Amino acid sequence: MDPFLTSRIVSDILTGLTNGVIYGLLALSLVLVWRSTRILNFAQGAMPMLATYVGMVVFAHQLSYWTLVIVSIVAGFAIGGVTERVLVRHLYGKPEINPIVVMVGFLIVLEGVAAAIWSTTPRGTPSPFSPIDWQLNGRPIALSAFSVYEIVTALVVMIGVAALFRFTKLGLQLRASALAPEVSRLLGVRVSRMLTFGWILSTGVGTICTVLVASNFFTGLTPQVMDGIFAFGFIAAAVGGLDSPVGAIVSGVAIGIILQFVGDYVNSNAIMITALIILIISLMVRPNGLFTKSTARRV
Amino acid sequence: MIAIERLSVSFGAVQALRDVSFRAETGKITAVLGSNGAGKTTLLRTISGLKEPTSGTITFDEHSLVAMKPENIARLGVGHVPEGRGVISEFTVEENLRLGAMMAKVDLATGLDEQYEQFPVLGERRKQHAAKLSGGERQMLAMARALIAKPSLLLLDEPSLGLAPLVTAQLMHTIHDLCASKNLTVILVEQNASTALRISDHAVILHLGRVVANDVKSNIVADENLRQYYLGMVN
Amino acid sequence: MNWTRLKRREVLSTILIAVAVAITSLTTSSVRDGVAIGVMVAVAIIGIATLTANGLRATHPVLARAALTVVVLDVSLFATYFFSAITNFNLAIGAAMSIVLLGLSFLTGASGQISLGNGAFMGVGALIMGMWANHHTSTPIFITLLIAVAGGAFVGLLLGLPATRLRGPYLAGMTLAFAVAFTAIVNSFSSWTGADAGLQLPTAVTPPHWLSDFFSSQTTLLTVNSMWLADITILVTGVAFFFMANLFASRTGRTMRLIRDNDVAAELVGISLPRARVIAFMVSSAYAALGGALWTLINNSVSPSTYSLALSITILSLVVIGGIGTISGALIGGVIYAYSTNVISWFTAHTGINPQGNLANQLPGIIFGGLLIVTMLFAPMGIVGALRRLWSKRRARTAG
Repeated sequence: MDPFLTSRIVSDILTGLTNGVIYGLLALSLVLVWRSTRILNFAQGAMPMLATYVGMVVFAHQLSYWTLVIVSIVAGFAIGGVTERVLVRHLYGKPEINPIVVMVGFLIVLEGVAAAIWSTTPRGTPSPFSPIDWQLNGRPIALSAFSVYEIVTALVVMIGVAALFRFTKLGLQLRASALAPEVSRLLGVRVSRMLTFGWILSTGVGTICTVLVASNFFTGLTPQVMDGIFAFGFIAAAVGGLDSPVGAIVSGVAIGIILQFVGDYVNSNAIMITALIILIISLMVRPNGLFTKSTARRV
Repeated sequence: MIAIERLSVSFGAVQALRDVSFRAETGKITAVLGSNGAGKTTLLRTISGLKEPTSGTITFDEHSLVAMKPENIARLGVGHVPEGRGVISEFTVEENLRLGAMMAKVDLATGLDEQYEQFPVLGERRKQHAAKLSGGERQMLAMARALIAKPSLLLLDEPSLGLAPLVTAQLMHTIHDLCASKNLTVILVEQNASTALRISDHAVILHLGRVVANDVKSNIVADENLRQYYLGMVN
Repeated sequence: MNWTRLKRREVLSTILIAVAVAITSLTTSSVRDGVAIGVMVAVAIIGIATLTANGLRATHPVLARAALTVVVLDVSLFATYFFSAITNFNLAIGAAMSIVLLGLSFLTGASGQISLGNGAFMGVGALIMGMWANHHTSTPIFITLLIAVAGGAFVGLLLGLPATRLRGPYLAGMTLAFAVAFTAIVNSFSSWTGADAGLQLPTAVTPPHWLSDFFSSQTTLLTVNSMWLADITILVTGVAFFFMANLFASRTGRTMRLIRDNDVAAELVGISLPRARVIAFMVSSAYAALGGALWTLINNSVSPSTYSLALSITILSLVVIGGIGTISGALIGGVIYAYSTNVISWFTAHTGINPQGNLANQLPGIIFGGLLIVTMLFAPMGIVGALRRLWSKRRARTAG
């Protein structure tokens, strides 16, 4: 058992899994915002980044780690809600390029502001979980207390979101507002509030993802830290299908594992190239994502 | 009871409704008739708040509906079953009904039971996706969804559309019974005039956005000219 | 042909040119300069005369566009003589960028597709120029440029094929992934591409002997070189714009616009959607490659790190700010690009904001991002679009 668990293959799988849940969380937040408002949020990494700065850096020396996490998440909720009300409102129904350009601009502004205030030196408060890999009979397994913390958190979030949508009144209204906004209004659903809530929820999920990244002893928090994760998270969401929360998570984990193997057995350049190839192939096979139920377009 | 006074609605340069006035009484079915493009659907959409009128008033139970948002109008007890039924295909039958019950201060279980009793077919298919229902079943689902919230005003937009004659007859029967038993105010928009007139008490005929007739059923039916020119009823 | 109107315009333009000639001839010293000016002026007169011939726009649109291009080129080439080396350099960079912007403007405006990868396509052209020049030193510049264009079109084909079936966000994502992967791809073939360090052109681009002899001994070599580079770039830009203007108005262009506005109708009329989309994609990538190749010429080297995702985003932003789907918008974008640092320093100087440290570094980015948001929310048709709206409002007011 020991040699197996500490073997290169298993190590790659475990490391890939740990990376993959991070991509999956970001992909999930992209799917949430897409499903509720049909907007591709390019600032989906930058908005939580700012929230995490507010939560984890501003009060870093005064509060405990867990309080900081909660502050960050609340800040994420706030940023998501305010952004929807002030900025995104004006983008509904416009041509597809408009939201993309606006959110890219927003991304640039947020990163600039964060860098201006807090500079680009890595910050962040390390979590109370040790990042040192565990040992099995003197050989390291690619798991540490911290990586387990990441995986468990991601699982809890995914289950929580799924439960919210399936079992609660709020979830029903969110789904209805996205599928049939006019009919929902006729049934008394406050659709515009649901749209705001979609952004609040998705930014919250994104913030949890960013908090995990910021709590990583080896990464820390920088204004650009979410850029790479956004790229992979986006690819995961596109591969899985922007309408599918399950697809987002599964693709995220799968991509995390595949890319880990590629990085280990080939070289680091091949990682991004492989990601691109995965994306192109999956979009050629299923242009709307692998997990989307294909509906023929009504003419 | 709902009173509509001098209602005018336009879409840009096109005027869809001009100076429309009539009343629909509680416990009665008021049919709104006329050919395509007469403005019937626009009328219902304006009442339920999806469209803002350019002038006129709509008074429902002491409330003025004109400046209100659709979700608030719905919460006042206005149930609108729109053109095409608006059933959410991706939801199950039960989820559609749960959505309908959302704003009502109604116990969900009781409400569901009532609707399943009224429409047994829905009870049988409660866990199925609405996409799998037939036209008639969808119509029942749309109505049940509107009724579960216990509305006092029911707006029905062409419920018989696409349904077989036998199903239509049953549907009309159901509407008539519900109106009587629950003392609803019903506004029934139909292109199929004879079907609608059979169960209505009162009728309003629209032509190119204007009211050309507004009277009790018997007078409308008796008028040869009305029947021929506006209702296409040759008999 | 309306002779009186023609006469009036001709007279007016001849007078204007005569004034310009008088001013410039008073400031130049040698006979040779005078000859050059004379040639320029003659071309300008012929061009303007053709252009203002009544009704030419309608009857011979291609000729009218050619005349316009000739006049603009003429004036620009004329101007480079007087500009300093720095100005010529900026002009060249901006002109090359405007070619790239034009390509993306066409893709987005005419065929409604989004691309976040045109910085990478620029890189493709830039690298081809660098690599080819290093291996085949004898090829004339213009041939190498064509090769770079072909290379760009080819890569556009590779990416355009899977892109045909993709809707907005998925297409954006795919092009984004390409932009990010470009650096990795370049690094993988580092023996050819020189990876991060980039490539140098083996021989600097210099003007031919007859031209450099033409100038007086007072003009430095640097000035002559930069003028020559600017001239080449402007010439190529003119050709590229001319071609695009014709493409826009042609049947292909109309097909593209139909697809953008109503693809279902287009399909019903028998247009092959995938083919048209791929063609649009290839055109935009070819144009981007041309711009990149020109940059290599101007900078005398190519550095792959220049062609990053940030550049792709900058390109898209400039297209938006200039005006999507417009030709003049691409020109405006090019000018903005060339002088953006100047604009920002002007801004900070005049608003009294004195940024220190981190803020100083980030301020250009913050302003740029803010500009993007504001433009897209309030003037989605860009500067050109806003101007056109103002113009038509004025006309409506004076008419009504």
